[in-house]
Amino acid sequence: MKILLVGFGVVGRAVVALLEEQRAALYRGHGLSPSIVGVIDSKGAAEDPRGLDPAALLEAKAKHGTVAAVAAHGVTGEKDTELIAESEAQLVIEATPTTVKAPGPSLERLKAAFRTGKHVVCVNKAPLAVAFPALQELSRHNRAEFRYSGTVGGGTPILALAQECVRGNEVVSVRAILNGTTNFILWRMDKQGEDFDAALKEAVRLGYAEADPSADIDGIDTATKVVILANGVLGRPCTIGDVRIQGIRGLPKARIDDARKRGQAVKLIARIAREGLTVAPEEVPSDSPLNVPANLNCLGLELKTGGEVALVGRGAGGPETATAILRDLIDIWHTIGSAR
Amino acid sequence: MAELLGQLAYLAMGVSVVGELTPRSKDAIAAFGEKLSAPLFRKALELEGVRARAWTGQEAGLVTNERWGEAEPLLELSLYQVAETLKAPLEAGEVPVVTGFIAATQHGVTTTIGRGGSDYTATLVGAALKAEEIWIWSDVDGLMSADPRIVPAARLLERISFGEAIEMGLFGAKSMHPRALEPAAERKIPVRMKNTFNPTGPGTLISEEGGAEEELARSVLLVKDTALLTITGAAMMGRPGTAARIFQLMADEGINIRMIILSVSEAGICLAVTGSQAARARATLERHLLRTGEAHSVEVEDQVAILAVIGSNMRGHPGVAARVFAAVARAGINVIAIAQGSSELSISFIVKGDSGPEAVRVLHDEFRGAHRT
Repeated sequence: MKILLVGFGVVGRAVVALLEEQRAALYRGHGLSPSIVGVIDSKGAAEDPRGLDPAALLEAKAKHGTVAAVAAHGVTGEKDTELIAESEAQLVIEATPTTVKAPGPSLERLKAAFRTGKHVVCVNKAPLAVAFPALQELSRHNRAEFRYSGTVGGGTPILALAQECVRGNEVVSVRAILNGTTNFILWRMDKQGEDFDAALKEAVRLGYAEADPSADIDGIDTATKVVILANGVLGRPCTIGDVRIQGIRGLPKARIDDARKRGQAVKLIARIAREGLTVAPEEVPSDSPLNVPANLNCLGLELKTGGEVALVGRGAGGPETATAILRDLIDIWHTIGSAR
Repeated sequence: MAELLGQLAYLAMGVSVVGELTPRSKDAIAAFGEKLSAPLFRKALELEGVRARAWTGQEAGLVTNERWGEAEPLLELSLYQVAETLKAPLEAGEVPVVTGFIAATQHGVTTTIGRGGSDYTATLVGAALKAEEIWIWSDVDGLMSADPRIVPAARLLERISFGEAIEMGLFGAKSMHPRALEPAAERKIPVRMKNTFNPTGPGTLISEEGGAEEELARSVLLVKDTALLTITGAAMMGRPGTAARIFQLMADEGINIRMIILSVSEAGICLAVTGSQAARARATLERHLLRTGEAHSVEVEDQVAILAVIGSNMRGHPGVAARVFAAVARAGINVIAIAQGSSELSISFIVKGDSGPEAVRVLHDEFRGAHRT
């Protein structure tokens, strides 16, 4: 299968490494031999219809900061959307970083992929947050497959579990912790007695939080995931404008201490219920499955039949997200391979 | 303007040189009327002191599939893109003037949305902008309780529900795109129909709630020029897939089936089609079903008419059908076939073509002032 990879940051590079590492297993287990025929990064691109050499890609990126430096296959000055439309690839992986304030470029790339009949694996949450129903319509119209399991929970198959749970059953409500950074901050404040700023500093030091942590601590990242869960799993058309969002920026330590005295813990909870979609700090009992430590994520589902189901796992990270991409890739490979 | 006319001349020359007018070229040419009128309307607004800007459907973000002449919008994508495009100018106090009827494929090729496509564009743009109300200006006062040419006492329906209006549109009450009300109905945005030649008239307000009054039937409609095909044959009885085969044959021929009547005994299937398509429908059915012995005969009853009584208050109200048919029977009109959807929004039946207008009058009289009890 010919693949075009867009975005060559932490996730993109992890995907290339993972595909190499899993090459034999993918062929043995699924009859799948992926070939990267193109890579686009922020400064240029590299293309080879016969497949690019992973080592050369990684080297060019490390030495020159762009894959456009790959000898004989580098491309500069072309528009992303044109490279995507004209590529021989059957599948596009969109692995650029999420920028909710400017979803435009990513959305244009997905549109270019779909209108030229390419399947898409997307881990950028921005286009899904603002235009999920439109993307779903576009993929169906063009009979192209569309997967995005890496957008929620990273390597932890949160969407897949939720999807299984709605089959023949009904999800009454969802309560989840979908952002590891904020969970880490709240957990430090609770367990180490740090105030918000100190806990945030520690999260940055450990590489959990970005230099600009706004998207995490203001609840935006969690809200994008709520939109994806609601649309993709619960079949509830919505966009980020439909989510009521309250973050944890500057949350007073007293609130956490006060909750602890009552046997409760404060968590940034994503909630999907009949009344609406919300993201807000909420208290959960300390023995609740949602009271997960450190930077873990947790999906809690209340089912009509069978009560509560919970899944705990790590929500982010380059290798974890790359695993999710590979999972989607295999899924698409089997879907398009079966008789349609 | 001159540039547009130049393009049009160029396009027309191309078509004449090749001597072939494909549906795609036809759409490209048909789009010029709207492309030219939008800037004119913008100018008119400006002369009135209103800041405005003109957009083609494509520029505004309307995307359709590739069925030229009758393209279907990609609804969600169009809604998103139109909202994105028009948000900034609206916030800046500009009035966007968007061409109706024309759009483009995802590859940027011009398409037209077909009959009544401008209404569809209006409801789509209204839904995208989350408008409080959508106004459609045309040359009729609004939706009527019957065709005033048949029933002089026909009244204007001032308030009507989406369900009723959609049903009326499907029965050809006004040349409205069958799906035109969908974007508005889904988002519960009221649609007001007004007459350009009678701007002070009340018009018809189509909304979720519909008419306040508890009127049983709202409108009686007549679809003239219809033909009824009856397909009979013992081999069809109890054999799964017969209906599917017939419908497929009709679809392949591009024949629109207006009504289907299939009795439980399966002795025969009746199809109502537009009169002009009857001969073609018959020929196809004979060629495929008689030759193979799947059916015994295909009979055509020309010159019939479909009557429809529409009203959402009929739902769950026993005795409406009895009243409809009793009234028609009193007038000595024979009912040839009957269909009622499970939505109970309408009852439709077929009579001889020449008794159609009389049946409309009888029913209009029967249900005038009839209320839900």
